[in-house]
Amino acid sequence: MFPDRDRPALAEVSERIGAGEVVVVTGPSGCGKSTLCRTLAGFVPSLLRARVTGEVQIEGESVFASDAARLALRVGLVQQDPDAQICTMRVRQEVAFGPENLCLPAAEVNRRVDAALAATGIAHLEDRDTTTLSGGEKQRLAIASILTMAPRILLLDEPTANLDPAGAKAIFDTLAQLQARKQLTLLIAEHRLAPLLPLEPRLLVLAEGRIVTRRAARRHEDLVALGLRAAWPRCPDRPSNPSGGGVEIHGISFGYGTVPLFENLSLSIRPGEILGVIGPNGGGKTTLLRLLAGLETPNTGRIDRPRGLRGGMVFQHPHQQIFERTVRHELEIEGPLGARDRTALLAAARLDRLEDAAPLSLSLGEQRRLTVVTTLRTRPGLLLLDEPFIGQDRRNAAWMIGRLLEARAAGAMIVLVSHDIPLLASLCDQLLYLGNEAIAGSPQDVFGRLAELGHDAFTPGYWDGDGP
Amino acid sequence: MPRLSYHLGQRGLHRVGPFGNLFLLAAFVAVGLASPSLLLKLGALFLIAASALLSGETPRAFLRSLRFVLVFALLLFVAQALSIREGATLVSIGVPITNGGLVAGAEMALRFLVILTASFLFVLVTDPDRLAHLFIRLGIPYRYGFALILALRFVPFFRGELRTVREAQQIRGIRPSVRSLSGLRRTVRYTFVPVLVSGLLRVDSITMSMSGRAFGLHTKRTNAEPLPIGAADGVAGAMGLLLVGLVLLARRYAWP
Repeated sequence: MFPDRDRPALAEVSERIGAGEVVVVTGPSGCGKSTLCRTLAGFVPSLLRARVTGEVQIEGESVFASDAARLALRVGLVQQDPDAQICTMRVRQEVAFGPENLCLPAAEVNRRVDAALAATGIAHLEDRDTTTLSGGEKQRLAIASILTMAPRILLLDEPTANLDPAGAKAIFDTLAQLQARKQLTLLIAEHRLAPLLPLEPRLLVLAEGRIVTRRAARRHEDLVALGLRAAWPRCPDRPSNPSGGGVEIHGISFGYGTVPLFENLSLSIRPGEILGVIGPNGGGKTTLLRLLAGLETPNTGRIDRPRGLRGGMVFQHPHQQIFERTVRHELEIEGPLGARDRTALLAAARLDRLEDAAPLSLSLGEQRRLTVVTTLRTRPGLLLLDEPFIGQDRRNAAWMIGRLLEARAAGAMIVLVSHDIPLLASLCDQLLYLGNEAIAGSPQDVFGRLAELGHDAFTPGYWDGDGP
Repeated sequence: MPRLSYHLGQRGLHRVGPFGNLFLLAAFVAVGLASPSLLLKLGALFLIAASALLSGETPRAFLRSLRFVLVFALLLFVAQALSIREGATLVSIGVPITNGGLVAGAEMALRFLVILTASFLFVLVTDPDRLAHLFIRLGIPYRYGFALILALRFVPFFRGELRTVREAQQIRGIRPSVRSLSGLRRTVRYTFVPVLVSGLLRVDSITMSMSGRAFGLHTKRTNAEPLPIGAADGVAGAMGLLLVGLVLLARRYAWP
């Protein structure tokens, strides 16, 4: 149990994982997946202070009697955000970092580095500056830098949460190849389950820190039986006669430095419409939101907005747009609210008991709901959302979808950047793919074109109903 | 703010290792601090600019990154020229401008420029990872060497976070204000608290990432990447020695 929490992060968890086994841990956000991974890696309680009872043994050695640095000889943990675990400036140095700490001879370090770079398919990047890699490349680098430690047990905490569908597919393929070649023991915390089925994993479903289900998963039917593959319901049609003008994008081009992100992009967003934006990491999705928000100016072309249009934006990381010391103050940054309105808003977001709590002490899901509420209270005509579903469980995602549909029914234009293809397929009126080329149209047309181009990972069929 | 950070490159001083670049920086600092000769300082400044161009920096970008240094050097020159009244008066603009004042101003401004531009160039062309490894080889405990690397990795991170937080403020209609104490307090709280939270979250992750790869397990660690000393280091070393020799000659013969 962590000192700042009122209930244990993990409770009465007992499990035995055999050598070479593949175990996938799933469950809603906050259910204890990350804590389980961090405990097995030796970070709890040596680095993350917590009160622990019970015993965890790895190959007969007590985890609590050891520490992370010593356990690193046996266990490697790949964290969710690859950016947050890279500690050197070049790819080769990063991969060499672990074995160098083990005081291995330089020749052995280099042998391991070459092998790990090859196994993860990033040998061609070895001299690259780590800050210039794409999200998928960074995650493969994170895996390579753990593989060089030659652990027998590999833990992966939502390794694809920040990746575009193609990057996620590449990671899953890499894991399958590694498992086939090295017989590693894999424990993967994931929401996206369908692409892991080829590994024939044993599923552990966590809820509120307890294991509630254990089951082998080999087919989609196994996920259906566990209620883990429910598709998103088709959203109601766009309102027929919303008032007001739309946003018109006329032939805009934009790039940073000499590299164009998109060229001659034209698009209309109509009132009461949800535009989904998909594409590879670094393809310009967030930049498009920034252009629509007026935070950037296109190099060429123009964006016409109705006069007096109010904009609102939900950022990817909630803490970046939380400023006040209590939830109530946060809600009133844009102006005071009557007690009844405030209570109603907070109750709708299930935050009514947290009015005087410090926003940054809330869980990620609560912070996300707070940022959505503070954004929507100004009734924006143009609502921009950048990956709002990352780290959110199905209940939170469903809550957010409900709010978006209310805003759409009131005539708001909504632009939603997400890697969650099945969700966008059911939610959006219009879809825009930003990759090597821009493809816009109805979701069916865009998915059809992407399938023709071989971008299967960007079509709902590949994910087959996985939701957050 | 100038974006002072290492640039990847293959030309000029990029081909010199951290030891060669460090030696060259020390030589330029010696010119700035120990040379009495204005001409030698001017020559050093020319050499620094030429080295920057040869190392792939564009004149515009290099000057842009140095604009605050140039402005400050100009202010130093003006302040000295106005305040020192030794020697013959050349012109009077309310206060007399003397040749002693101009020489002292040039001396101060050039000293500042040589040291700062050489330091800027050193940062632009020296891989901080390799520099840290050099320090470690020179006997500095590796934990301190990696503290330097991590600090450098956090610079672009904080820059990005700060930009995002400011944009979030802009979108919510929050205008930074420093006109009153309460406005200043609010601006600081609204800006630095979110950035600090991001930084602390990042520190947690990096700490776990390093510990999870056995950082600190042993008192020593391997450095698998050699720090070769090649012909380019030889040229840089010779250039540095030449500069030091010229400083000694300038002091010996009181060059102008």
